[in-house]
Amino acid sequence: MLGEFEYLILSAATRLHEGAYGAAIRQEIEEATRHRCSIGALYTTLDRLETKGLIKTWMGDPTPQRGGRPKRMVRVTATGIRAASDFYLALRRVSRGVSWEANRIAVR
Amino acid sequence: MGGEPNRGPMMTRICWRLVDILSRMLDADERQVVRGDFAESGQSVARAIRDVSDLVVRRQIGLWTVWQPWLALLGIACLAGLPLSRIAFRLNVDLGQQLTAYYTYGVHFGTLLTPQQDMAWLLCLAIALLLWSWTCGFVLGSLSGRAVWLTWCVFYLMVLDSALVRFILSGNMILRDPQPLRLLMVATLPLNPATFLFSLSALWGAFMGVRRRVLPLRAAYVLASAITIFTILVTWMSGWYETAHEVWSSGAWHGVSWTMRLLPFVVVSWPITYLLATAKRRSTIDKEIT
Repeated sequence: MLGEFEYLILSAATRLHEGAYGAAIRQEIEEATRHRCSIGALYTTLDRLETKGLIKTWMGDPTPQRGGRPKRMVRVTATGIRAASDFYLALRRVSRGVSWEANRIAVR
Repeated sequence: MGGEPNRGPMMTRICWRLVDILSRMLDADERQVVRGDFAESGQSVARAIRDVSDLVVRRQIGLWTVWQPWLALLGIACLAGLPLSRIAFRLNVDLGQQLTAYYTYGVHFGTLLTPQQDMAWLLCLAIALLLWSWTCGFVLGSLSGRAVWLTWCVFYLMVLDSALVRFILSGNMILRDPQPLRLLMVATLPLNPATFLFSLSALWGAFMGVRRRVLPLRAAYVLASAITIFTILVTWMSGWYETAHEVWSSGAWHGVSWTMRLLPFVVVSWPITYLLATAKRRSTIDKEIT
């Protein structure tokens, strides 16, 4: 089973497709969650996902925008897509019949 | 790096320099990627420091999830460091006595041995110290990898200070008028010939260990032979002093047996067995490949 941060990375990388690399994934996650995403958490999680065989990473070409430095490109593997899909289905199943909006209002 | 074109005031430049220094603790590839990310996102220097520190800490912690740095820390820095400290201390005391006697009074310091015997002892002990220090340093570097800065610091301080602390705590040495700055210098700098020899040799060994990881088999055999020869020599020669003490004390002093004299030398020599084993394994793998 994936962790929630692992799921966020897999989702962001899948959405970015060809343009998935460290900084872009980080920006996607920050925009989606409205929380800071640290480089430390991102790169150590990328390593973990790669060890599990859920993603594949490689060094991209250097770009002038990055001061001539390379990107760490990311591609989600078939196993990664399956794992993310399973996680999402589990999330949907467990959330069935739960209305968070209603609960939020009730708590207020 | 992020904000590089508009680095602006001096403080910001200093902070970016700090980010630069911190990022050097990362692997070369990762360092480039992280610097590229900072440049692309144009994030603030404060966040860059926080981010790079976070990554460095995570990577350093990650290094300690395998057994190798632990073996370097416990087996070399702590276990071999203790007897090596006593050996360096002994060399320093013996050498200091001879040099002081010679330069102050122009005589040989009386040890009941001939000057040639004392010279031979000092020379053999110094060479043995160099060999043990280099080997310990090499294996420390080889096992620790990027965690070497921590294991090296513990090893260095252990060799510099453990014998001194032991003598002070046991009451065999009394510090008269201890000045904090002087104490700090003695505790952290290789100010005497023996610790200087140790530091240079062990540092070189650690540097080579990090870079090469494994010695060629022939070099490992030569080193192992040299260590064995000098270990036997210093064990034998240290017996001269035991006999001399027995004679001097008219039998009141009973000399330490050769097995007990050999024990600390064996403890500081253990890294050579690791070094030999890894060299042999590498050689076998190379042969299988070819």
